[in-house]
Amino acid sequence: MYYLPELVIVAAGFFVLISDLFMPKHHRKYLPPLSLGAAAIAIGLLLANVNVAAEYLGGRFVISPLTTWFKIIFLLGGAFTVLLTWNSKRFERITAPGEFFSILLFTQVGMMCLISSTDLASLYISLELSTIPLFALAAWKRGDKYSGEAGIKYVLYGALASALLLYGFGLLYASSGSLDLRVVGDTFTATPLAWIALALVISGVGFKLTLTPFHFWAADVYQGAPTPVTAYLSVASKAAGLAFMFQIFFGMFGAQLAEWQWLIAALATASMTVGNLIAIIQRNIKRFMAFSSISQAGYLIMGFIGPYPEGAPAMLFYMLIFAFTNMAVFGVIMWYDDETGRTDINDYHGLSKTNPVLALVMLLALFSLAGVPPMAGFVGKFFLFSIAAKAGMHWLVAVAAINSTISLFYYLRIVRAMYIETPTEGQRRLPVSPVMQTTLAVTTAGVIFLGVIPLFYNLIERHLTDWLRWFAGW
Amino acid sequence: MSLVPGLEHWFILSTLFFAIGLYGVLSRRSAVGVLIGVELMLNSTALNFVIFNRYLATPFLDGAVMMIFVIAVAAAEAVLAMAIFVQIFRSRHSVDISTMTEMRY
Repeated sequence: MYYLPELVIVAAGFFVLISDLFMPKHHRKYLPPLSLGAAAIAIGLLLANVNVAAEYLGGRFVISPLTTWFKIIFLLGGAFTVLLTWNSKRFERITAPGEFFSILLFTQVGMMCLISSTDLASLYISLELSTIPLFALAAWKRGDKYSGEAGIKYVLYGALASALLLYGFGLLYASSGSLDLRVVGDTFTATPLAWIALALVISGVGFKLTLTPFHFWAADVYQGAPTPVTAYLSVASKAAGLAFMFQIFFGMFGAQLAEWQWLIAALATASMTVGNLIAIIQRNIKRFMAFSSISQAGYLIMGFIGPYPEGAPAMLFYMLIFAFTNMAVFGVIMWYDDETGRTDINDYHGLSKTNPVLALVMLLALFSLAGVPPMAGFVGKFFLFSIAAKAGMHWLVAVAAINSTISLFYYLRIVRAMYIETPTEGQRRLPVSPVMQTTLAVTTAGVIFLGVIPLFYNLIERHLTDWLRWFAGW
Repeated sequence: MSLVPGLEHWFILSTLFFAIGLYGVLSRRSAVGVLIGVELMLNSTALNFVIFNRYLATPFLDGAVMMIFVIAVAAAEAVLAMAIFVQIFRSRHSVDISTMTEMRY
């Protein structure tokens, strides 16, 4: 019963949806702790069986250390998102909490099945289960023109990306006669048909992971969507994109990956450079974080180069760090949005005078995103850059290092707004709810300790290396 | 010369649908028109799976099963998209996507 975590989340999703119908209004405050409890139970079950490999449904649902670590990251992203919405004043007024949390839980199930599936049919269904509900979440603020615009852009881009992806899947099916990922990969021959199929599939992956030529939806959707949804998109949905890319590149084309180094390097270079350069001129902090996360996706996929056995754990470790770091940043953004309703970078002027602790949390998290040494982000980036160096792509390491420097410049713009600029007239100390304090404490602890304590990376690396040796024969 | 359509004919038909759908996506200004284009593309992929199943992977039914899933997912996507359009129409009285430029840097 190693698929119990999925069942727990499905059951919790339906329970939240149905109990919301019959619940008196004042009991709705129990929905966030309930969703959080389900996520915590699922994480506990996963951690208890972290080193297990199993197969269900005739090999169509696979459980391995890799899938388990991915599921832990998805559930952490979901749990933090629930924590952000809990006790939120602004958010409670605009939403139907029952539907919100059940949709959130259903997307979690989609992501968990995405990494566990082994054939194109279940891969596609679980990808759509983790994407389609997010369209609704992006448009959640009813009557808000920004949220509506975010929803319409996301749904149209998403439907187009899914059509392109499916056409690619169709061509792969034509060239192999099977929907099984391994069979498709093993029978892959370099025909024009296969290249078209690959291009279409990569455009679908790029949409989900916000890689550069496919990133255009991200800025508007991140800016317009409600802040907790933006946080969820930037952490859990991006992790799902990475999981999907793992499925395509390691699960399907593991044997061909060595010849595609240049493709990955080009995508990584484009994402880093475009994301970083456009982030410099942003004024809205959520839009700014969209471009920041595009550039982070660029760093992230450097782990596919090679492929080396160190690549998978390095990417997974960076994703874990990214989940904590980005959630710390979005915790502060959410809190400020909730208290004042403002999301411009200029609104953060003088935050260090009025709320020094939250300014410090933001500072640490931004330094981690930029990759300043004692923070976790530096350690994560170090492992990723070392993979590019190992493959002999020193120019890519140089590009990534220059991009990190550029990113430090724009992350410091926010630090400057908080620490150097004077507060605007009449700005006073804003209250922080206990739930938000806990969230920020946990995420900040992650930002500081994930990199310094070697336990986490060692754990991921040991589990994954054993599994990769068995899986790919490296 | 046989008059029975073969793999090539069906594939050309589905590619044509895909291309017409893509043209619709790129040229329509109404969100509903774009959605119709996307649906045409999704249906051409569903057709693809059936064709490839019939001609290239005969004894199995993988492609036919995939086709059913594709249709179901496309329906879910269309419903959600229409719901979002209705919501936008209420506040803006139009679903013209070329006017949706509220968000700038």
